[in-house]
Amino acid sequence: MKSWPILALIAAALAVPGVARDGYIIQLLNIAILNAIVVLGLNFVTGWAGQINFGQAAFYGLGAYTTAIATKAGLPWIASPFLSVVVVVVASLMLGLPTMRLRTYYLAMTTIGFGEIVRLMIVHWEPVTGGTSGLRAIPGVSVFGFGPQGQVQHYYLLIATLGFAILIASRIRHSVLGRAMIATRDSEIAAEQSGVDTIRTKLLAFMIGAVYAGLAGCLYASSIRFISPDSFSGTQAVLLMTMLIVGGMGSIAGCVVGAVALTILPEALRFLGQWYLVLYGLGVIAVIVVAPGGLASLVSLSQLRRANAG
Amino acid sequence: MTSEPIIAARGVTRRFGGLVALDNVDLDVPCGIVQAIIGPNGSGKTTLLNALSGASHADAGSIRIGGNEIFRLKAHRIARLGLTRTFQTIRIFENLSVIENVKVAAACHTPTSLFNIVTSNARQQQSEAEIDSNAREALQIVGLADRANDNAKQLPYAQQRLLEIARALASKPKVLLLDEPAAGMNMTESMTLLATIARLKNSGITILLVEHNVRLVMGISDRVTVLDFGKKIAEGAPSEVQRNPLVIEAYLGRRHRHA
Repeated sequence: MKSWPILALIAAALAVPGVARDGYIIQLLNIAILNAIVVLGLNFVTGWAGQINFGQAAFYGLGAYTTAIATKAGLPWIASPFLSVVVVVVASLMLGLPTMRLRTYYLAMTTIGFGEIVRLMIVHWEPVTGGTSGLRAIPGVSVFGFGPQGQVQHYYLLIATLGFAILIASRIRHSVLGRAMIATRDSEIAAEQSGVDTIRTKLLAFMIGAVYAGLAGCLYASSIRFISPDSFSGTQAVLLMTMLIVGGMGSIAGCVVGAVALTILPEALRFLGQWYLVLYGLGVIAVIVVAPGGLASLVSLSQLRRANAG
Repeated sequence: MTSEPIIAARGVTRRFGGLVALDNVDLDVPCGIVQAIIGPNGSGKTTLLNALSGASHADAGSIRIGGNEIFRLKAHRIARLGLTRTFQTIRIFENLSVIENVKVAAACHTPTSLFNIVTSNARQQQSEAEIDSNAREALQIVGLADRANDNAKQLPYAQQRLLEIARALASKPKVLLLDEPAAGMNMTESMTLLATIARLKNSGITILLVEHNVRLVMGISDRVTVLDFGKKIAEGAPSEVQRNPLVIEAYLGRRHRHA
C-alpha cells in the first residue's frame, strides 16, 4: 500500500527523458539531482544532528576538483570517486574535530570560513585548478571503457545514484545512528545521559554529509565536464541550506523536493528578467510562512487531515 | 544489604564563581534501596545529581559507581557504566516517536558499525530487533506500550515524564537518578509514579531521587539525605531525619544565622 506512491515516482522519473526531449531540460534536471544528493548530505548534519553547516558547497567543490584534476592527469575514472571521498573525509575531519564542540553562530562562522578558504584556494592555485576560469574538457564517467553517452544516459546514471543515496539515508535514519543524530539535535544532555556519544555522532553526521557532497561533486565534474569556483561558492552554500529549509528539514523526500524545486524555479522564471529574483524570494518566504516544516510537511499535513476525516 | 555501596562519593565540591553550591559532600547509597535527597531551594540537590551523572562536573572529589571512579567522566560513559537519570524540566526527543525515544537509550549496550547500518546485514537486523524488544519492555514497565508509535511531543505532560523514566530504564541502569519526578503531576499521577518507583526497586534498581514534596518522599524512601547550603546536614531513616532539629531549622527558619 505504502509503496505505491514511491513506485509511481520512480516510474515518472524514468519516463522523464521520453517526454522531455529537450537537452536543456535534461541538463537542468541532472544538476537538480546532483543538488538533491548534496542536500541529502546536508540533512545529516543540519536536518538531523542539528548543526549549522555552510561548508557543504566546499565539500561539493573539493569532490569536483579532485575528480577533475585526477582524471585530467590521466588517472582512470574509477579511481576518482574513491579519491574524492578520501579528500572530503580528511577535510571534514580537519574541520570537524576542532569545531564539533562549537554551537550555533560559532559553528556557522567557522564553516563559512572553511568554505571561503576552499574557494580562495581554488581561485589562487591557478596552475592546478585553472583559477577563476575553471577547468574544461574533464574526462567523462568511464568504467573499463564503458560510460554514459549524452544527457539522457547521464540522467539515468544520476537518478540511480540518487536512488542509492536515498536508500542509504533512510537506512541510517532508522538505525541507532540516525536516532542518535536526532536525539543530539533535540537535547544534547539527554542524549548523553542515554549513552550517546554526542561529539562522535555529530562528527559522523558531518563526515557522511561530506561524503555525499564529495561524490556528487565527482559526478558533477565528470558529467557536466566543466567546473568553476562559482558553482561551489558561499552563495551556493546558502542556496543548499535554502533547499533544505524549503524542502523540509529532516525529511528525505523534502530534501529531494527542495533541491529540484529551487534548481528548476530560477530557470522557469527566467522570462521575468530581473524580476525573477523578487518572485523567487517571495516564493521562498511564502513557503516558510505557510509551511514552516517545508514542502514535505504539506504532504504529511494533508495525510493527517485525511486520516482524521476517515 | 550488601557491604559495598553502589554510589560512594567523597568530598564532592562544586563552585559557581564565588558561590559554593556543593561543599565537601560525602554520599553513600547502599545497593537496592530508594534514597531521597531533600533540602530547601538552592541547597545543591540538582547540582549533586549533575555531578553524579556527569551533566555538569564537580570541581573536586571522588565519585565511585559500582566500584568505578567516574569523576569527570563524560555523561555517556557514566550512562554505559549503569548510572542514568531523568530531568527536572522534561528533556524528551521531540522529533522522534515514543518508541524511538526509548530506543536511543536501548542501543546503549548494542555495538554497531556504519558498515552494518549501510548494508543492513543480518547482524544489523538482529541488533535492531534486540533494541526494539528492550525498548518495548521499558515502555511496558511505565505503561506507555500503547503509545509506542505516537510522536513524543504529542504525549501529555505526565506521560512525557513517564517516557523519560522508560528511556532511562532502557539503558538497563544499576542506579537511576530521578530529579523531581512528580513535579507538575496531580495526585493520581503521583500515586501511579510512586507505584512505578516501588516496582523498579523490587526489580533490583537502586534509586536516588530529588524531591521537593517532602511528604511524598518520606513514604517511599528507605534513607533520606538532607542538604542545606551545599552541605549535608543529616542522613538516615525518614523518621529519624524528620525529628532532627537541624532539618527542622533548615526548613522552618532561623535562617538569619546563615546570613
